[in-house]
Amino acid sequence: MDNAVNPLVEMIGISKSYGGVRACRDIDLTVRAGEVHALLGENGAGKSTLMKILSGDVTDYDGTVSIGGAPVRFAAPADAQRAGVAMIHQELDLVPGLTVAENIFLGRELRTRLRTVDRRRTNQVTRGLLERCGVALDPRRPVGELRTGEQQLVTIAKALSLDAKVLIMDEPTSALSPVEVEQMFTVISELRRAGVGIVYISHRMDEIGRIADRATVLRNGSVVAGFDTRDMTAEAAAEAMVGRPVQAMFRTRDVDPGEEVLRVTGLALTPRRERSGRREPDGISLAVRRGEIVGVGGLLGSGRTELLETLYGAGSAGTLRGEILFRGRPFHPRGARQSLRAGMALVPEDRRIAGLSLEHSVAANTVLSIVDRIATAGFVPRARETGAVRRITAELKVKLGSIGDAVGTLSGGNQQKVVFGRMLLTEPVLLLLDEPTRGVDVGAKAEIYQLLGEAAQQGIGVLLASSELAELVGVCDRVVVLSGGRSVRELDTRQAGEADLLAASMGEGSAALAVEGGENA
Amino acid sequence: MARRRAVAAVLTAATALSLSVSCGTTSENSGQGGGGAQESECGGPDGKYTIGMSQANVAEPYRQRMDDDIKAAAESVPQFSVEFADAQQDNAKQVSDVENFLTKQIDLLIISPNEATPLTAVVAKAYNKGIPVIVLDRKVDGDAYTTWIGADNVEIGRTAGEYVATTLLPNGGKIGEIRGLAGSTPAKERGDGFREGIEGKDIEIVQSVDGDWLREKGQSQADALFKAHPDIQVLYAHNDPMAEGAYLAAKAAGIEKNLKFIGIDGLPIPSGGLKAVEQGRLSATLIYPTGGAEAVDTAKKLLVDCQDVPKEQTLETELITIDNAATVYNEANS
Amino acid sequence: MTSEVTTKQAGAEPEPPPQQRKQRREFVNALFRFQSLFGLVAVFVVAVVFSPRHNGELLFLNADNLANVVRAMSEIGIMAVGMTFVILVGGIDLSVGAVLGLAAVGSAVLMVNDDFGVVATVVIVLAIGLFFGFLQGMASALFGIQAFIVTLAGMQIARGLARIWSGGQGVAIAYGDGPGEAPVTFSLLGERTFNGIVPIPALIFAVVAVVAIVFLRTSAFARHVYAIGGNEKAARLSGVPVTRVKVIVFCICGFLAALAGIVHAGQLNQGSPNDGFGYELDAIAAVVIGGTSLMGGRGSVVGTVAGALLLGVLNNFLGLHGVDPNVQLLVKGLVIVVAAGLQRLRPTV
Repeated sequence: MDNAVNPLVEMIGISKSYGGVRACRDIDLTVRAGEVHALLGENGAGKSTLMKILSGDVTDYDGTVSIGGAPVRFAAPADAQRAGVAMIHQELDLVPGLTVAENIFLGRELRTRLRTVDRRRTNQVTRGLLERCGVALDPRRPVGELRTGEQQLVTIAKALSLDAKVLIMDEPTSALSPVEVEQMFTVISELRRAGVGIVYISHRMDEIGRIADRATVLRNGSVVAGFDTRDMTAEAAAEAMVGRPVQAMFRTRDVDPGEEVLRVTGLALTPRRERSGRREPDGISLAVRRGEIVGVGGLLGSGRTELLETLYGAGSAGTLRGEILFRGRPFHPRGARQSLRAGMALVPEDRRIAGLSLEHSVAANTVLSIVDRIATAGFVPRARETGAVRRITAELKVKLGSIGDAVGTLSGGNQQKVVFGRMLLTEPVLLLLDEPTRGVDVGAKAEIYQLLGEAAQQGIGVLLASSELAELVGVCDRVVVLSGGRSVRELDTRQAGEADLLAASMGEGSAALAVEGGENA
Repeated sequence: MARRRAVAAVLTAATALSLSVSCGTTSENSGQGGGGAQESECGGPDGKYTIGMSQANVAEPYRQRMDDDIKAAAESVPQFSVEFADAQQDNAKQVSDVENFLTKQIDLLIISPNEATPLTAVVAKAYNKGIPVIVLDRKVDGDAYTTWIGADNVEIGRTAGEYVATTLLPNGGKIGEIRGLAGSTPAKERGDGFREGIEGKDIEIVQSVDGDWLREKGQSQADALFKAHPDIQVLYAHNDPMAEGAYLAAKAAGIEKNLKFIGIDGLPIPSGGLKAVEQGRLSATLIYPTGGAEAVDTAKKLLVDCQDVPKEQTLETELITIDNAATVYNEANS
Repeated sequence: MTSEVTTKQAGAEPEPPPQQRKQRREFVNALFRFQSLFGLVAVFVVAVVFSPRHNGELLFLNADNLANVVRAMSEIGIMAVGMTFVILVGGIDLSVGAVLGLAAVGSAVLMVNDDFGVVATVVIVLAIGLFFGFLQGMASALFGIQAFIVTLAGMQIARGLARIWSGGQGVAIAYGDGPGEAPVTFSLLGERTFNGIVPIPALIFAVVAVVAIVFLRTSAFARHVYAIGGNEKAARLSGVPVTRVKVIVFCICGFLAALAGIVHAGQLNQGSPNDGFGYELDAIAAVVIGGTSLMGGRGSVVGTVAGALLLGVLNNFLGLHGVDPNVQLLVKGLVIVVAAGLQRLRPTV
């Protein structure tokens, strides 16, 4: 069993840059047969890139990868699969309309002698595979009918059917119920006994303590620590992950908060239709005052985004309970348009999906929320429009050639500023921000923090949802921590630090570690 | 060639004034009068003439055959060249087709209109420009055209009825009828004529159903018809495809030997009624002539021979039975 | 992660000689944006050069012929303008041909059978088109049924209504003052020369086009239309009243289809339930040739107008040459494919 001489996977000196930004810097990583190796690190630490290299998704890198002692260089994921490396992605690549068995054999269907698909054998083999995973699932059920956890297990069965020697699991439990997590762990023990090497990416310290043998911590593209999980403490791991001193650029302001703009008491939403992967508010209380930046923290799936969307009137349809007081009056979220009119603005999570029309001009994107306000008799006066665009882009220091350029040509940070500017033009009193610095480089990040500070200075209340601990602790005055759709703690960042936030995020029952967004999104 | 159906196509000359009463097209107050603004120049045998043929659609085999007949007939007139346009059942497209012909300054227009009213104006425009217009099969409103050539559906229906009364059911009997598209003029006329033909005899039409001119509709309708009235002796369909469909239905029920089938159209093409009669599926069909050859003949009279033509030329039908089916087919395709 | 990567790459990319490069990019962009205009010019030139001649005169350039070209495509053009709006929000309207038929029947029946005046008839028929579009828009936008499905159903319904209303047959329009006759004013549409040159249907099309162009360039509503087509989710979160805009857009399309139907009835002196069969595809073709993306968010009425004219000139050119009707279909199909293919080549951001 102990195969230290010739590890199953050996990655040596791996480096990879994206246009000047180093994602991986001289990383070494070994995985032995029958071992679960946890990979830890904050958003952007380089975990994904490293695993993409191992699974053949990223091909131009420096360093060497060996599988079973033999150096390999994969040209495509299919190469890696052939060599026995399988990756289970966070977003599952299953076809909902096909059955479990069909999904598992997708692209390499078993045939009869007449070259037709051999359903009987396919289902038989699948049943065997599922049994090996300890799951009782009918192979003939469409995958779309399965719960997320079951789907997760199907992908594992699929990996098994490929005779995978190395299995990469990226946050496999983030969407699972406790029972399903247990089931998953049984499968993992089974695999380990069969000699499969597993790379396990997770942020739940309790899980890692239970099933991992070793852990490697990445930060800013480098290995910063390696642990034997038997003598690893959650504090030590967290420190290694967060590492850097809290940057001074965060807290430059000291505003006296003014009157309350938002007070939410016991907010809960019963959706008309259950949507998978969503954690609707289930008892949230918080308050935001003018000039104050309040953070919303919590694990992935704790309901941060859903809270903002519900407040803004852009969440799931359903029955709201609890009370929302906005500017001192009861507020019923009815839709983005009404919210904007009332003075509440939202910078959504993914600017490409929910924020911008990339092929339209900077100008069109910037004024979108106010075109009908600046219009006279339905027509938009050019001068008034370009005036507004020039003013706000200058104010936000958006780097652009001309306001007629397509917004998709701007860098990520500047795109984000356009969304930001659009919302500021509506002159809000409350600004909801969801992961405003995701995918934004460090320089732009600092600028956005500064803009946030300025907005607060002008008396705007800010509610900032983020998965970055440093951001929450550094930028916010207070942080409300969510867990399972409830607000479980409120921290004053003048006294509490990132470690406290971590601890609070773990909560009681579902002990877990860092707040982490989908790095692979 | 142009004389290939000399027997069938005896032209019943009718003057412009003598409008046949039985010709039940839509109410039209056709003014009296020959010529109108028209003053067609006749170039004689030395000229070269371009004829524009505007067809309503070529999806129907009957209309495709009409085009083919015109093409074949025109080949024997060295002075003629014919251009074809297909309106694809769209009135507006047919208007444009005619406009294009006018732009090209054709010497004569043959048109088989998709519908009467929408094309009346553009036909009149051509006629008033001095271009001779031959209207085929369907009429246009008014009298702003040179001549109309077509068959008399009432007469065809009557012939069919008389054939049934005298030959198939001399002692009376029961008949099923599959009609053309409800509301269409030919369906009405073919039905009315047939009833005239069997009048006074002990023959009963036990049921009439709509077959929409379509073979598959004829088949499904006949299916139901035979079930409801197993005592039917003769099936009269308003066209050959529906008659063939009914034959298939009877065959499926195993009763095709007890029945006689009559259709109309008698197209001299492999899938047409002549072959069906020759091969014994239909007892008889009535030729509904396309008028293609006659139209070219008329054009020749107008442009080359400098003769006058009557305002209406009604084409005679011909009864086709097993006795003459092969002969007529061969003549038509020789 | 991917977004992060690309943006970082974009940020790190060394800037090329900016001015020159940018001008070129803008030029190329304009070329694609107005491809149908260039295509129209090209087809027009070909039509002139290869025009059939008669006594030395280029028949294609004959005033009557040019009038025919614009008259013949004015109905498609009017519908295509409405279709442009729908396609800009990422929708489609398959019902316009059937609505044209319904409107043509309505015009004929109201004037001939019910003795309505011209104004009343036009108002009622346009209202019917508007309401039909409204229902389709509601079904599509409010209940989230795909526009393709809704308007496919709408097409059948409009066709059925037209058949029922007309009794299954074309209703001929005769002019005069008596009962059963339409007011002579209406025949203006059919008498295809306005001041001796310009056909009235073409005049109506021109007015519709100009209004639409101005409206789409300057109105706040148009911004919402483009924004929805560009990124519906973003538009909604930005406070664009998505449902309302979509419904209005379908109303516009239905309204213009009805207008085209009135023109149709006037041109042919008849309202037939089979009128406009397949016209929706010609209208979509004009929009596609005009460079409007079927995904929505990109395109213009200028392009659509040029696209419709291009089809008209092409039809006329092929017709004048007596090209086999079946071959004509092939040529038109190829033009559509080429136009759509060119849009694929268009540099995206």
